[in-house]
Amino acid sequence: MRARTWLDELAHELTARGVPHAQVAGIVVETEAHLHEAAGDPLDTFGAPATYAGAVADALAADRVATAPGRVRVRARGLGKRHGRRAVLDGFDLDLRAGEAVLLMGANGRGKSTLLRILAGLDAPDRGKVEIDGSVGYAPQHGGLIDHLLPAEHFVLFGRPRGLDRRAAVQQGRRLAEQLGWDALAAPVAGALSGGTRQKLNVVLAALGEPDVLLLDEPYQGLDLESVQRFWDLLWDWRDAGRCALVASHAHDAIERADAVVEL
Amino acid sequence: MWLRGVLDLCLLALLERGEAYGYELARRLEELGFGSVPGGSLYPALLRREKLGHLRAEWRAGEGGPGRKYYVLTDAGRDALAAESAAWRAFAAGVAAALDGVRA
Repeated sequence: MRARTWLDELAHELTARGVPHAQVAGIVVETEAHLHEAAGDPLDTFGAPATYAGAVADALAADRVATAPGRVRVRARGLGKRHGRRAVLDGFDLDLRAGEAVLLMGANGRGKSTLLRILAGLDAPDRGKVEIDGSVGYAPQHGGLIDHLLPAEHFVLFGRPRGLDRRAAVQQGRRLAEQLGWDALAAPVAGALSGGTRQKLNVVLAALGEPDVLLLDEPYQGLDLESVQRFWDLLWDWRDAGRCALVASHAHDAIERADAVVEL
Repeated sequence: MWLRGVLDLCLLALLERGEAYGYELARRLEELGFGSVPGGSLYPALLRREKLGHLRAEWRAGEGGPGRKYYVLTDAGRDALAAESAAWRAFAAGVAAALDGVRA
């Protein structure tokens, strides 16, 4: 790709990510200087403009630290859970506070999904206790959708128990989907959606009605880089508004985007 | 593949020896044997440290080309370098002990 075109696209992508104009100019000049000296193809040196812009926007957001965390929304003490003879959780403690977006890490089989299910109230722990202060939204890693229903019909169905009437549910669902870069009202029934889009729908359904606590199990899988960035933008807004989120993922880029990391 | 924290640490260490601009740092890392460092990793790392106040940026006119952004280590950056290099040495010593006796 020609350097000029690549730089123009970079400027465009940075602006689209809300990087202030003065900073965009500086970043473009610096990148141009590098390309000038390195004399390489910008795609080889920096990758796609959108990807690089995303990395830069992330770096600039490094000081975007949450307002002082508030009250404890989720308190887990001494959680234990066995699957057959294997201890999946053993004496696990957690405090999740209002205003925090926390990453839950751990290899497969270390109990991330089990923990989220227990916090969501779907499973009971064998030992220990969970106290939740507020409402909870949960997005499972698999399933969670009704294949023959449209996304908008999901919004209505999931919105009702959270106090949203039909209109409000569709409106809010569409807005959340838009934040993830997805036009939900133009989409086909859930069964016809790609894996990444199904995950977006699950995230939107969990966030519908703006519960105090958001529990997301591997919301990343199948998402492209731009969607991942949008997902975190949504999550940062979420916690800045005083709500909290616990996100299970083994995507390493999540480490520096989250306010804190809990390892299992 | 660069481990994010390690690249940051090497950049702070290089800048302790004096100010430098991006491409210069990329070249020095290459000379140290790290291979070519993608600009896509290098500049975000520098920006992050600038944001954290560990680095200060100074723009200078370039020779013929566009302007150059020089990075200067701040006092806070020196403190961070001291703390992080101590942590890294302890970590690396642990890895070395674990690998002791393993055939290369």
